[in-house]
Amino acid sequence: MRYPAVAIGAAGLVAWPWAAPPYFVFLASLVVVNAIVAIGLNLLSGYTNQLSFGHAGFLAVGAYTAAIVATRWPGVPVVVALLTAALGAALVGLLLGVPCLRLEGLYLAMATLAFGFVVVEAIVNLEWLTRGNDGLRVPTARLGPWALATDTARYYLAVLVGAAMVWAALNLVRTRTGRALLAIRESEIAAQASGVHLAKYKTLAFVISALYTGVAGGLFAFVVGFLSPDAFDVFLSVDFVAMIIVGGLGSVPGSVAGAAVLTVLNDSLAGFQNYRPLLFGALLIASMLFMPGGIASAVRRLKGG
Amino acid sequence: MTTAALVHVVVSGLATGSIYALMAISLVIIFNATRTLNFAQGEMLMVSTFVGFTVYARAKVPLVVVMLVAVVAAALLGWVIERVLIRHAIASTPFDVLIITLGLSLVLRSAAGLTWTHDEFPFPSFFGDRPITLGPVRLVPVSLGIIGASLGLMWGLWALFTHTRLGRAMRAVAQNQRAARLMGISVERVYSASWVLASVVGALAGVLIAPVIFLSSKMGLVAINGFIAAVLGGFGSMPGAVVGGMLLGVIENLAPLYLPSSIKHSVPFLVLIAILLIRPGGVLGRPARRKV
Amino acid sequence: MRSRWALLPVALAVLAAAPARAEQGVTDAEVVLGCSNSFSGPLAFSGEQATKFGVDLYVRAVNDAGGVLGRKVRTVYYDDGYKPQEAVANTKKLVEQDGVFAIIAPQGTPPVLATLEYLEANKVPLLFPFQGSPITRARRYVFGGMTLYDRQSRMMIEYLVGQRKYRKLAALYQDDEYGKSFRAAFEKDLGRHGLKLVAAESVKRGVTDVSAPIAKLHAARPEVLFLVLTPGPGAQALRERQKIGWTEAVMVSSGPLTDERYLALAADAAEGVEGLSLWPDPLASDLPGVRLYRERMKRYFPGNEPNRYSLSGYFAAMLFAEGAKRAGRSLTREGLVVALEGIRDFESGILPPVTIGRDHETQKQGFWVRVEKRRFTPLTDWLKSE
Repeated sequence: MRYPAVAIGAAGLVAWPWAAPPYFVFLASLVVVNAIVAIGLNLLSGYTNQLSFGHAGFLAVGAYTAAIVATRWPGVPVVVALLTAALGAALVGLLLGVPCLRLEGLYLAMATLAFGFVVVEAIVNLEWLTRGNDGLRVPTARLGPWALATDTARYYLAVLVGAAMVWAALNLVRTRTGRALLAIRESEIAAQASGVHLAKYKTLAFVISALYTGVAGGLFAFVVGFLSPDAFDVFLSVDFVAMIIVGGLGSVPGSVAGAAVLTVLNDSLAGFQNYRPLLFGALLIASMLFMPGGIASAVRRLKGG
Repeated sequence: MTTAALVHVVVSGLATGSIYALMAISLVIIFNATRTLNFAQGEMLMVSTFVGFTVYARAKVPLVVVMLVAVVAAALLGWVIERVLIRHAIASTPFDVLIITLGLSLVLRSAAGLTWTHDEFPFPSFFGDRPITLGPVRLVPVSLGIIGASLGLMWGLWALFTHTRLGRAMRAVAQNQRAARLMGISVERVYSASWVLASVVGALAGVLIAPVIFLSSKMGLVAINGFIAAVLGGFGSMPGAVVGGMLLGVIENLAPLYLPSSIKHSVPFLVLIAILLIRPGGVLGRPARRKV
Repeated sequence: MRSRWALLPVALAVLAAAPARAEQGVTDAEVVLGCSNSFSGPLAFSGEQATKFGVDLYVRAVNDAGGVLGRKVRTVYYDDGYKPQEAVANTKKLVEQDGVFAIIAPQGTPPVLATLEYLEANKVPLLFPFQGSPITRARRYVFGGMTLYDRQSRMMIEYLVGQRKYRKLAALYQDDEYGKSFRAAFEKDLGRHGLKLVAAESVKRGVTDVSAPIAKLHAARPEVLFLVLTPGPGAQALRERQKIGWTEAVMVSSGPLTDERYLALAADAAEGVEGLSLWPDPLASDLPGVRLYRERMKRYFPGNEPNRYSLSGYFAAMLFAEGAKRAGRSLTREGLVVALEGIRDFESGILPPVTIGRDHETQKQGFWVRVEKRRFTPLTDWLKSE
């Protein structure tokens, strides 16, 4: 492991709120949220080839779980809220993942797409729980005596959680589970032949992916401070897919890079008003034409050649 | 609810369903050739319809001419997109192509908004809104017209796929590209033809549905229902696309009649999930079995 | 880990100790306004019209005449595509990066609601948001920009039940915050007369087929059907009614729906439709303010048709300019709030005299219209809701 590089990176993350203008602290928190989703989605899509167009649904489950926990039990530590969000999303992931085992490729993509719509409909209709279309205000995150009331405080929360999630993802690859996932990525048939329990590990990938997205959802709730069903539409799910493809399938650093690039790009284009989708779309197309395989494979090519 | 009302709602659902079916067919045509979902299908439909509309607004030409203009615009658009964007990326993974079509959908919608504004426009129709009474039921020409025209178009496509060289080449490519190439089929030409054909089918669907849902930069969203229809019927199968589309249109209309409002909007998605779980291959599709 | 947290209070102290500047967004030469709005997504049309052809139309006219007390007005807009999280990001960017003086004319309840707490906490005035949920009431820095939905409902029910004596009313509404707010308000106001909605059906945003809800509503045989929709589905509902030959009920459109685009889409199916109009007819009204608006539109944006969205943005900028003028040359946010609260009987030439006062609601009125020969014809004078 390249410790100096990690140390420099960590120092940069710690120093960021002092070095950057206030707005960019908030933006960095959004980058972290999206990076965690991208890692989660990549563990599913990049390793077990299960493409999901429903991750905005998991994000919503995580976000609403955390917000509801923090509202019902004021003063609950943010860690508990995030863990509940993670477990809630993981449970939903299990419920969706088991039946989805029978599906692959396009069919899975469509089932997850439908899942995303169903989650939004559920939020709209469970008014007693989610306040429906009126939207839900998220209370300030608390950590023991501290209220994380500033963008800087929330940024540090996001970075700490994000770092833990990245570390876990990088290490997951080295565990038995990780090796099984890698084997599935290379060839499902070969993996099965060498004793990998395909159903078990594919379900596990689904659950882990949902868990990651649930954590990100919890962070999203506290960082943004307001939730409504409009936030979690199908286009958000598609954005997540774009992040991992632009970043590079099957690569943890690629997921982070893809999330960072697309989040910052999307944000910086907001000032172009009606030209924004045009420019964003054109850049997506260009990146795929000139950088097939995404950022990760471009970096690999640069290193190799 | 009277029988007449029920019949009307079902027929209306079949009309909307025909449009979903045409969208599903377009998606399947491209999928069979390029092995990717085309996220921009709805936006291609929208742009072609807008081009037709512009000619109509400027010159008040008959609707048949408007339709022809839309079809030509669609053919050109499909051809250019395939040649300029898709063919380059086709060598890399299908995921790259997916993102390209996604980017394209954003570009087309935004460009349409810049050119024609994001306003909604009334679009001329071949068929009237005034109901005709036939015994106990009342039928609306516009619904019947959409259903009839769509069925006609589907029949034309069936003829194309079964009775022409190009159609047979397309089916061969859909089954096995390498084998098709070895048989002497120009796979590249099939790619081009597929994009052009899908785009043209979309444009016709656009001209048919624009009078009902109005012409606007967001009308391309109807493609989402096309996706669902295609999967309901079994992706890759043309008859499946037709059945899936009709089924979805009718379900969408019957659910609000009989179900409480809290779940009625989820019904199409719940049906989709249920069908995927019971018959993963869709209503008419073959269950996907992988051979080792 | 602990040391990072220990640094936090230091950082906060540094931020808090920043020297008190002259008011943010105001210099001798200019004042900066901005908003996050929909330039893409479902409300892209109204978003663009309200800002770039509405607020900016008045701003250009004012700047060409020397500005507000010598200050030119500059506007900054960001696209949020109707997503609350992007509205939050954009609003923070406006306040923290662009240093705007106030937020003017953002659109849509979810995006506006998402930024409300932040703006209140930072004491940034939120001027005339284009949304009708009562949630913006009773906030020091927020001034309403539309006759709120509960007031609209009250006026509609009082007029229809009180004056016209209808007893059986039903509603077709959009399945979102806008539609549900109206539905709840209808139920409440009907309750005062001992009535209930005889039927209520919802449709999704961007619906393709409205035949089923219309059939269900038709079966309930109401005398009045409220339409709480956007122009596309609203026009679809009117055409669907025509298809099934449903002529008995009076169709009544909500304030936001009562506009010319919906008429154009519905064509002859709109004949006889009634509604609560929140604005005078932007294309035909002879009111001096509306005529001036049309002249300016022709001068500055000749390609753009007048409509209610740009008129509302234009009016918002006019009201801001009036407040800023009253606040005087030493413009501050507090000063603007006080000045706006002090507005009495301001003649805009567009709406009846505007009095704002402590409740911060700039608009509380509408008038009844009926569609005759494809135009809205007024049936009443301005109805007030106090």
